[in-house]
Parts: sequence; C-alpha cells; structure tokens
Amino acid sequence: MKLQVYTLRYLLIALLGVIALWASLFYMVILEEVYDNIDDGLKNSKLLIIRKAQQSPELLTNHESEINQFTIKPVSMGRYIARNNRDDDDDDDHQNVIYNDHKYMEYDDDYEPVRVLKTVFMASDGNPYELTITASMVEEDELLEDLMTALIALYIMLVVSIVIINYFILKKVWRSFYSLLDKLRHFKLGTGTAFTAPPSPIDEFKALGKELEALLKRNEATYASQKQFIENASHELQTPLAISINRLELFAENNTLTEEQMDAVGKITDTLSRLVKLNKSLLMLSKIENKQFPDETAVDFNELTAQVLSDFEDFAAFKSVSLQVIQNEPLVFNMNKGLALTLLSNLIKNAILHNRPDGTVTIALSEKQLTIRNSGSEKPLNPDFVFNRFARHSTNENSTGLGLAIVKSISSNYNLYIGYAFDGEHVFNITFP
Amino acid sequence: MKILIIEDEKGLREVIQQSLEKEKFIVETAASFNDGLDKLGCYAYDCVVVDIMLPDGNGLDLISEIKALHKKEAIIIISAKDSVDDKVKGLDIGADDYLSKPFHLAELHARIKSAIRRKSHNGDNLIHWNNITLSPEQRTVSVNNNELTLNRKEFDLLYYFITNPNRLINKTALAEYVWGDYIDQADNLDFVYSQIKNLRKKLKDAAAEIDIQAVYGIGYRMS
Repeated sequence: MKLQVYTLRYLLIALLGVIALWASLFYMVILEEVYDNIDDGLKNSKLLIIRKAQQSPELLTNHESEINQFTIKPVSMGRYIARNNRDDDDDDDHQNVIYNDHKYMEYDDDYEPVRVLKTVFMASDGNPYELTITASMVEEDELLEDLMTALIALYIMLVVSIVIINYFILKKVWRSFYSLLDKLRHFKLGTGTAFTAPPSPIDEFKALGKELEALLKRNEATYASQKQFIENASHELQTPLAISINRLELFAENNTLTEEQMDAVGKITDTLSRLVKLNKSLLMLSKIENKQFPDETAVDFNELTAQVLSDFEDFAAFKSVSLQVIQNEPLVFNMNKGLALTLLSNLIKNAILHNRPDGTVTIALSEKQLTIRNSGSEKPLNPDFVFNRFARHSTNENSTGLGLAIVKSISSNYNLYIGYAFDGEHVFNITFP
Repeated sequence: MKILIIEDEKGLREVIQQSLEKEKFIVETAASFNDGLDKLGCYAYDCVVVDIMLPDGNGLDLISEIKALHKKEAIIIISAKDSVDDKVKGLDIGADDYLSKPFHLAELHARIKSAIRRKSHNGDNLIHWNNITLSPEQRTVSVNNNELTLNRKEFDLLYYFITNPNRLINKTALAEYVWGDYIDQADNLDFVYSQIKNLRKKLKDAAAEIDIQAVYGIGYRMS
C-alpha cells in the first residue's frame, strides 16, 4: 500500500471520530446557549408582565393571554410562601421554574417544543398569582438535522481538501525519499561508483541519505577487499600449483614407474589440473568484476561462433552430438574479444558436455539475439540458481561450477540479458542491447 | 643452446631447470632482478625466461634493459598474473611470448623452441625428426620428401610431439595447445585419443619413422 493511501486511510478514520465527538459537544454547547438565551428572554418577559400587572390589575383577571403566551392564575397563599421561602437568597431566579414542554401548534399540526417559565408573584391586590410564560423553542431535531448536514458537508470538504493537500504535500515531502529510493534501486555494488544520496531539505531524509552512504561505503569496501582477497589468493596459488604439476611431470618422466604408479601420478595431475582450472575461473571472475578487460572491438559473433565450433567439433563428434548453426542475421557487438570468446565457449561447451549421445546443439544468431539450445537431460534446471557460483547441475566432477557464473558476470558487464528456459530442450538466450 | 631463467620461486626455478636440462639445454638461473641483470651483462643466451614479479624489480623493466643492451635473446615472460595489460606491454617492448602460470613443462619447451627458431635467421626453419620434415611457418609436413596432408589439429599435434621428443606429455597440455584453453575440463579428454589415432594412422601410411605411445593415466610420449 502506498504511503499516501496508508496515511490517508488512518487520517480519515481518525477524522471521523474527532468530528463525531466534536459534533456532540458542539450540539450540547449550542443547545445550552439556546436555552440560556430563551431563559433570559422569559425572565425579561416575567419582569415586564409583573410590572404591567401591578400597574393595571385588569390583567390579573384576564387569566390567559394565548397571543402573548402567558397566563396568570390566582394561587393559594401557602404555595406562594412555600415557593418564595425555598431559599433565603434574594435573587429571584429561584422563584422561577423553567422546564421544557410540548405544545400543540395549529400551523404545524404538531407538538412543538416550548420553554416554560413558571413563577408566583404577589399582586398589588395582596393576592398571590402564578404566572406561566411559554416561548417557542428551536426544534431540536431540526437543529440536529441541520447540524448533521453541516457536519457531513464539513467532513466531505475536509476530506477532499486533506486528500488534495496530502497529495501535494506528501508528494513534495517524499520527493527526496523517492529519488533516494530510485537511486538505491539502480545502485550496484562493485561498479566502483560511490553512492551519493540526493540532496533533501528534510533533516530525517538527510540523515537517512548520510547513513545509507556510510553503509554502502562500508559494504563497497568489504566487497572490494573480498574481491581483492579472492584475486590475491588465486594469484598466490598459481605458483605452488605450477611447481606441484611440473614436479609431478618430471617425476613421471625421470622414473620408470609401473602402470599403476603411472596411473596414480596421472590422477594426481588431473586433480591438480582441476584445481588450476578452478583457480583460473575464480581469477577470471574477479577480473571481470574488476573490469580488467578494457579493450573493446566490434566482435562478429557469427565468425566467433564458427571459430568456437571448430575448436569443439572433435569433442562434439566424440560425444556424438551434432552441432548446427542458424545464422539469420549478422550479429556484431562491441566488447572485449577475449570475453566474447569466453562467453561463447562456456555456453557451447556446456551444451555439448551436458548433452546426451546423439543429441543436438543448435545455435541461432539474429541481430540482437543469440540462442543456444541443447537436448540435454529431460529435467529442467532451476532458473533461479543456474547462474550462481558453484551451483552444480551435474555430477560431472570436472565441472568447476563457475562456467555459467562467468557467463553471467560477462553479460552483466556489457548489459546483455541472459536467460534460461526449458521447453523440452535447454535454451540459453542472450539478448544484446 | 643456453637459457637463462630469472624466477624468484626456488621450486619453479628448479623444475624448469631440470626439465630443460633433459632437453640438452645449458641452463643458468637467477633468483632476482639484479642477479639476472648481472648475468645478462656478462653472458649471451639463446633464450631468457623471465618472471614479471621479482622481489627487487619488475621483469618488464628487465626486458627493456635487454633491449637497451641490443641483445638478441629470445624472451619469454612467465607470470602468475595472466594480465592482458602485462601481456600486451611485454610483447610491445620486445618479448617473444607470454606464458601464464601454471603451465605444463611441455608447453614451455614448445614456446622456447619456437621463440629461438624465430630468432635464428639462418634460413633453415625446418624441424627434422628421422624422415619427417616439418615447416612451422608453412605448416607443411613431408615424409621422405613426400608431402603429407594433415588438418590443422593433426599438424598442431605433430608439432607439439616433435618439439617435445621423448618427453612425457600430459593430455591436458596437449588438449589446451591444440583445442584451446576452453577444452580442458571436457570429459577427461578422451576425445584426444581418437584424434591421435587418426594422426598415427596417417603417419603410418606415409611410412613415417615415429612412434607415439600412450602412457596410461597421463598422456603420450613420442620417440
């Protein structure tokens, strides 16, 4: 999941909760404010009505005033005292009882919520009266509805603007991260080019870039020293190997040995030769990776194929494998000639070596493709490991297990794509850029 | 024929010396750059075999010195480095051949002999063995003055045998020389046998006085 979508998902869920909580609080506060406002109005009306009643007592007899939304009823003295003595505070608030009620409205044909104030006062005639004032109130459900609509609109607006802002900000903020990632993706160890993190205005990414640079620098150093070690070790092995083989050769020559002894010497020599080959292959690999084959010429692969095949024709004839070349188009590529020879030789040798008697090797050349097919064993090789070092696919003890690793290494040096497939035959395919 | 070996590794110096002495070469050795330079200043040799990496100097500089002294020795570089650069550079400054370690002694013989032959401008570059005459330049073979037609590989095989007479030749060395470096691990090299069988038959048909024997387990010997 992309970072943008990921953060947005949580942001939207969190926002929903926050807005819901906020909406309920807001609703309660508003309602409180509305009651407060209405209550103030009611209290004000009470004062005005009582004052008016003191001045014009006919109002007292006019018990109800539907239009003015108030009623005056005479009550017993006891109730007046009971109410007025409830508190010894002279604030008149405690004389009032304010509550919510519903009242039938003809216009709406419905019960509408009203706020009711009830109080008892002493008129100028010395009798206590109860005054009830009602005020129409905002309809709660309408308020809720309006509030909900407003909130949904707000939520949508917020989400849209957050998505948009998020998109642009994240894009801007993470730009340096993505360019770092892109650079990292194209970075290859052992190419000799140091990794430099792209500049970033953000401290965290700057730190990340710095750490990566340091890490890769350490890796590069380890890689280089490992390569150096392989190369040095191989070099150092050459001379003792040379001496061993040469001494054995002289030994076999200088002494009259029995057939068994000669055979034993021969076997030791063969084993040493294998060691030499292995050592040479390792050296070759590290040299290819160190790019120690700088000379490049236009290599004609059609010609080279013919040359390699002529080297191998006796071997193929001995293994009764038939060789076939299909030259569709000329294939010329700029590379080191020695490496081109190694590449082709290793592939063709493998194709012959791992073939069955009366098998075939077919080499097809076109402008950008070189395909080598061989009818080897019926078991496909694992394409994930086929080019790995020391990935043995046969029980052949003479194989170094490095042939295809060398092929792969040469290919990646020149940005050639090499692939393996099995369609009844083993197919190695090189695509030239 | 006098040969100077300049090689710091004692073991290798010894085996090369022993092997070349069997070929009736007069062999002198030097273990260092300066030692080699002294000997080159005092004596004349037919061929100098020089290692590139010497403890007190670079073998390539030694070659430059030889050339500066206007000496005519054939020069063969032996190196553990097998570096294309060194090879190109060495051949550029006048070395005749470059052999990377490890090598088979038979291979070194073949290289030394052909380097010396190329240097000797006496006109007769033909190699004789009993009634066989081989011309390395023309790549022709004649038996009793009758030309014998051999293909490239048969010729190379014969040439290798004739430059290493009476020597035990490892089949790997033979295969590498004739079929190239890449053939060496191919299936115990049994296919070499069938090629040699063909060569033997052709030589026998032409009544050549040559005997190529198989040495069990190792390779071949020509006598």
